[in-house]
Amino acid sequence: MMEGYPLSEDESSPRRGRRVAIIFPAPKRRRGIWVVGVLLAAIAVAMIVGRGTGYAYSSAPVRAALPPFDEPANGAAAKKLQQKLLAQNKQLSAALAKLSPSGTYLVVDQTQNRLFVMNDDQVVRTSVCSAGSGMILKDSGNKKKWVFDTPRGVFKVRNRISNPIWKKPDWAFVEEGKTIPKNPEERFESGTLGKYALYLEDGYMIHGTLYTRLLGRSVTHGCIRLGPDDLQAVWDAAPIGTPVYIF
Amino acid sequence: MKSMLLAACVMLAATAPAPTSDELARLSFKNDLLKKRLDLANSKEFYLVLDPAEQSLELMYRAALLQAYRVEGLEVGVPQVMYKSRAEASDWEGKVWKKGALDPVRALDRVEVVAPPPTKEGTELPVQVPQTPEEKYPVPARYHIRFEGGLSIEVRPPGTDEKGGFWSRLMTRWSTWWADAKAAGSGGKSDTVRLHVVMSKKDAESLYRALPPNTALLVVPPSP
Repeated sequence: MMEGYPLSEDESSPRRGRRVAIIFPAPKRRRGIWVVGVLLAAIAVAMIVGRGTGYAYSSAPVRAALPPFDEPANGAAAKKLQQKLLAQNKQLSAALAKLSPSGTYLVVDQTQNRLFVMNDDQVVRTSVCSAGSGMILKDSGNKKKWVFDTPRGVFKVRNRISNPIWKKPDWAFVEEGKTIPKNPEERFESGTLGKYALYLEDGYMIHGTLYTRLLGRSVTHGCIRLGPDDLQAVWDAAPIGTPVYIF
Repeated sequence: MKSMLLAACVMLAATAPAPTSDELARLSFKNDLLKKRLDLANSKEFYLVLDPAEQSLELMYRAALLQAYRVEGLEVGVPQVMYKSRAEASDWEGKVWKKGALDPVRALDRVEVVAPPPTKEGTELPVQVPQTPEEKYPVPARYHIRFEGGLSIEVRPPGTDEKGGFWSRLMTRWSTWWADAKAAGSGGKSDTVRLHVVMSKKDAESLYRALPPNTALLVVPPSP
C-alpha cells in the first residue's frame, strides 16, 4: 500500500509536485505466532525441568529391614550369643539410667528465659525467668572485660541460703562508675537477691529480683532471676544436689 | 530346695529352643541403638533425638530431657536434578549426626559497653529495657538445621505455603523452589538427605530460639 505526500508546498520549486512514498510493512503474523510459541515452549520446558529439580520427598519408613547378621554355627552358639547380647543390653540400659536424672531437676532455657521444674521427664512448673544479657562490659581504662553470659551445661545446687546477702563483685562497681572498694565490708548488700539464693557453681545463682518487670528478658550478669512466687516454688522443690540443666 | 530350683532352671534353659537369627539380629540392633544413646549421653554435647515412631523430637543433654516437641509429619527428601537423584536416602537412620547449626543463623547481638570513669558517688546509668526473645529472634517461616555429613532438617509449621494471597503464595513457592533447586544442584556435601519435619508454629519457634550451637542428632530407626 502506498500513499503520496507532497515534498514541498513551495509552488516555485523546480521539484514541485514530486511525491515520496512511505511504506508501512504489513504485520508478519507468522513471526508473532512463532515468538509466542517459543516462549510458551520455553516456559513448559522450564516448568518440567523445574519440577524435576529440587527435593523429591517420600514418607519416612515405618519398618526397617533387619540389619545383616552372621548366623551362629549351631544352637548352642546361638544361645551363648543371646546370653551375651542380653547381658550387654542390661549393662547399657543400666549405664544410661544412671546418667539420666531421676526425681526433681531444673531446666533453664536461657534464650527464651524460662525455667522448668521437672520430675521424671515431666514438666511440673514453668516459670518466667531472666538469664544473662550477653553484654560485654569494659572498664574505662579498657584493661578489664566482663562477658555476662549464663553458662550452658549441667550444674548442681551446691548451697541454699534464705535472705541472702550479695557480695558485690568488681563489675558491679565498674558498671556503676564507682571506685572498687578496698574494704570488703563495703561489698555487702542485702535485699538485692530476693528472699532466697540457690548457689550453683562459679558464683552463678538462682535468686530473686527487685526488677520483676524485666523478667522474661535477658538482663542479668549471668545469674538466673525469678519472681517471688516462682522462687518460692523452686526453693521448695530443689534441695541441695538437685541437677540444674542450662541450655 | 534352693539347689533343686536352680537345677530346674538350668534344665529349662538347656531345653529352651535356640534363638533364631532374626531374634539375635533384633537384640543386636537394640544394643547398637542403646550404645549410641549412651555415647551421646556421655559426650558434652547437646543432642536431638528424633523418633518418627513416637512422633517426637527431644532436646537432651547427658541423658536428661530438656525439651520435647511433637512432630506432626516427617518426610525424607533427596536432591534431584532434572529427575535424576543426586544421592540415596539411606543410612541416615540410627546414625549420629554432629555439629548441627541453624540456617538462618540465630545471631547473638552482643552489646559492648565501656564503663564511665570511676568516682566515689558513681554515675547514674539509664535503665535500658532490652528486647524480649520474641522481638530479638524473629523466626523464619521455614528454617534448616544442617548437620556435618550432609543431613539437614527442614522445620516448618503446617500450612506455611498456604498463607497470604495468590501472589504472596506464588512468591513463597517460587523462592522455596529456587532455594531447593540451588541446594539440590550445588553438588556439595550438604543437604544430601533432607528431613522435612512439620511441627506446630509454637514448637517450631521454640526450637529455633532454644537450639544450642553444635547440637548432635540421632534419628531412631523403626524397629525391625
